[in-house]
Amino acid sequence: MISLWKKLALATAIVATPMAVATQAVAEGEKYVLVSHAPDSDSWWNTIKNGIALAGEQMGVEVEYRNPPTGDIADMARIIEQAAASAPDGIITTLADYDVLQQPIKNAIASGVDVIIMNTGSAEQASEVGALMYVGQPEYDAGKAAGERAKKDGVTSFLCVNHSIQQPTLVDRCQGFADGLGVELGNSMLDSGADPAEIKNKVQAYLSANPDTDAVLTLGPVSADPTMLALQDNGMAGDIYFGTFDLGEEIVKGIKDGVIEWGIDQQPFLQAYLPVVILTNYHRYGVLPGNNINSGPGFVTADGLEKIEQFAGEYR
Amino acid sequence: MSDASNVTPEVDERIKTRSRFREALIRPELGGIVGTAVVFALFLLFAFDSGMFSSQGVLNWSQVSAQFMIIAVGACLLMIAGEFDLSVGSMIGFAGMIIAIFSVTLGWPVWMSIILTFALCIAIGALNGFIVVRTGLPSFIVTLAFLFILRGFTIYLPQTIERKTIIGGISDAAEGDWLAFLFGGTLFKGLFQWLGDQDIIETFTRGAREGQPVVDGIPMLIVWAIALVIFGHILLTKTKFGNWIFASGGDAEAARNSGVPVNRVKVLMFMFTAFCATVFATCQVMEFGSAGADRGLLKEFEAIIAVVIGGALLTGGYGSVIGAALGALIFGVVQQGLFFAGVESSLFRVFLGVILLAAVILNTYIRRMITGER
Amino acid sequence: MAEPIIRMENIEKHFGKVIALAGVSVDVLPGECHCLLGDNGAGKSTFIKIMSGVYTPTAGEIHFDGAPMNFDDPRDAIDAGIATVHQHLAMIPLMSVSRNFFMGNEPLKRIGPLKFFDHEKANKITMDEMRKMGISLRGPDQAVGTLSGGERQTVAIARAVYLGAKVLILDEPTSALGVRQTANVLATIDKVRKQGIAVVFITHNVRHAMAVGDRFTVLNRGQTFGTARRGEITADELQDMMAGGQELVELEGSLGGTV
Repeated sequence: MISLWKKLALATAIVATPMAVATQAVAEGEKYVLVSHAPDSDSWWNTIKNGIALAGEQMGVEVEYRNPPTGDIADMARIIEQAAASAPDGIITTLADYDVLQQPIKNAIASGVDVIIMNTGSAEQASEVGALMYVGQPEYDAGKAAGERAKKDGVTSFLCVNHSIQQPTLVDRCQGFADGLGVELGNSMLDSGADPAEIKNKVQAYLSANPDTDAVLTLGPVSADPTMLALQDNGMAGDIYFGTFDLGEEIVKGIKDGVIEWGIDQQPFLQAYLPVVILTNYHRYGVLPGNNINSGPGFVTADGLEKIEQFAGEYR
Repeated sequence: MSDASNVTPEVDERIKTRSRFREALIRPELGGIVGTAVVFALFLLFAFDSGMFSSQGVLNWSQVSAQFMIIAVGACLLMIAGEFDLSVGSMIGFAGMIIAIFSVTLGWPVWMSIILTFALCIAIGALNGFIVVRTGLPSFIVTLAFLFILRGFTIYLPQTIERKTIIGGISDAAEGDWLAFLFGGTLFKGLFQWLGDQDIIETFTRGAREGQPVVDGIPMLIVWAIALVIFGHILLTKTKFGNWIFASGGDAEAARNSGVPVNRVKVLMFMFTAFCATVFATCQVMEFGSAGADRGLLKEFEAIIAVVIGGALLTGGYGSVIGAALGALIFGVVQQGLFFAGVESSLFRVFLGVILLAAVILNTYIRRMITGER
Repeated sequence: MAEPIIRMENIEKHFGKVIALAGVSVDVLPGECHCLLGDNGAGKSTFIKIMSGVYTPTAGEIHFDGAPMNFDDPRDAIDAGIATVHQHLAMIPLMSVSRNFFMGNEPLKRIGPLKFFDHEKANKITMDEMRKMGISLRGPDQAVGTLSGGERQTVAIARAVYLGAKVLILDEPTSALGVRQTANVLATIDKVRKQGIAVVFITHNVRHAMAVGDRFTVLNRGQTFGTARRGEITADELQDMMAGGQELVELEGSLGGTV
């Protein structure tokens, strides 16, 4: 029995050590929490983490990043409640599912925490829950703008590679693109899953089954990178009209090589950086911009890629 | 429990006598009790001022723990009966989606949607169990298949019917519904308002809910968790059926030879697990007002982890519902508490691993003391 | 002499092309210990599975208490009073003695409209019955896993007797036990027999059979050589019959008569 207690004590010590360190390391200044809906596996959010880290450093505030490990929005609601209970100065959160998240956000605001909605959601929803403002890219509109652009370039049919079909905002992008083109979404949206090999094979399978597809739309690096490989494999690279949401190292390379027509940059850095700066200034000096901020969409084409290349995946 | 040992006239000299204190100490829940004490002690020490023990904070980790408890009770009884259910997480997503489709898309009354969903999900649980006992395949594989099947339907159905993967608007549909309250309501609102008025618990400081207490009552989620734990504990320890659950998991062949209807016990336990998953889903849907295709991901493992922390044996035949409930409490408190303590969130899995390992080692030791395994 | 409690006539059992039993007749009297001897594969297991209702015979008749009987289910046999104590699968080690004792036959008490497992009654009866069999437990909640093999057999036997068995089938109860534990189990068999219960004792150990048996039936390759009374047959003769006669005589010679 004694040896067991020793083991237990050891385990306790292991558990306790980083906790003690963490509590002592509390910085001076305001405390903010950024809550995202992204699962741990989503690397795109790295830019967000870098953005809040930089803003926190520059403004002298503490910003924590929280997310539901599996991307379960109901878990995210609990994280917002929990963030509110820890009484921070402000919460920056996405509105991935209005129904689920509205009540926890409203409660947080009512208990004295200022909230800015970033990334997912809309200006209307942000004002409905009582948030200070919305910083992000309206997804449906971005998809529609992309669709209209593609229509001008002569596209009439497309494949939308959806790597996380349970996220409604990704479906909005595909739907917007279809509406911009003026065609039915129908079977054009492919539930590809998030595994690169699977995505590649599914895209190839779809394109060989539907060889007259004009365009491919991917919804982020997760689906864009394997799709590019798929196109290189079946020889359609550079031939088929290829647009994507979001940027990443491979996507930038693809744009440069002419495989990808354009990338829609929603500039996630701004979505993370600006709310921290805005909240800090609001809390310190009472100043607040008078409107919502659209961080995107910006179409990135082969022209002027230098900065983007340099910071892709880090700040871009 | 041990008073009968006094009447024994002669004692085998090779069996060491044990004190009553030790006797009372050595029980399947011991690991859970020790773990709970340690976890609370640590967080009281390191996160006392962080808001974790404010009324909002307490509600927060209580709700998360209650969620774990609801599925842990089902998983615990099923595991003691010698089987696993890996489809619990998918079942949660599926049940929620079915309620949403019935009540929002088809516009049926919410109470009817809930009852039909329960019937459907329990039937799927029965199918799970039926396939397992009929084919003799490991439940691990059979329920793994259902993990994919149910998740697939959860994505496919709303996509086909509504062209989206989240169906909202259930709150409006459930307004004033008697059965919806049973899952999404809160109890003792008056008491909590009074507590708020007396400044015993905090109140909202601004907005539409100014003056209302930050915790406006006991959510039905927590009531369900407690009710299921009590039900499961009594069923397991105080009834004939509980004895059959132990027997079915301990040695199905021996149980059959003694006339225990092992197949019926196992199928019923699969149904009960499905019931618990559906309770989880219904509470979630009624609280949040929407059903999403990604709800409940990985929850089956969280349930199994809670049960194992609580002292149950993975191979069946041994365990305790109270232990599983404590396991769920530890899980919930640690998951939420690390945030309050200011620990980097990516370290959560490290802590979980350490706790799991410590719990399993401790529990193995306790079990050996009780059962004389070597 | 009393009427046989169970009489099995010309029992045949075929599994596809394999003839496991080719017409075996055995009868068992109340209060006797009837030893069923046979080498591995002689058909002992098949025979007792028919007796306990696990298998239905391909041909032949079973009379129980004078009436013809057809068991569809082990449950029927248990209800009729035929209890089987299996070689390995007698007890569940993780469960307490008292839970094992009443497994499948739990005593109930009523609280309001609900029925609960009456642990107090179960514990008391378990302790009493165990004491009668000469086993002292630390407590009724002691796990069966802490008992020795012989004690487990005794618990299983006591359990069957308590639950009202008229015929007790013991499937190789002594095969895995040490000397002292075997003696305990044999003593238990003797106690049970004296209570008027018919005991069917399956073994391939002639010495164990001779120690407690009243009558002996030898099975060989699905057939029986008939039943002998105690005193009518010697241990050596039984041994020879089990092994099929001649070969063993040769074998015994080369082993110096030690088998």
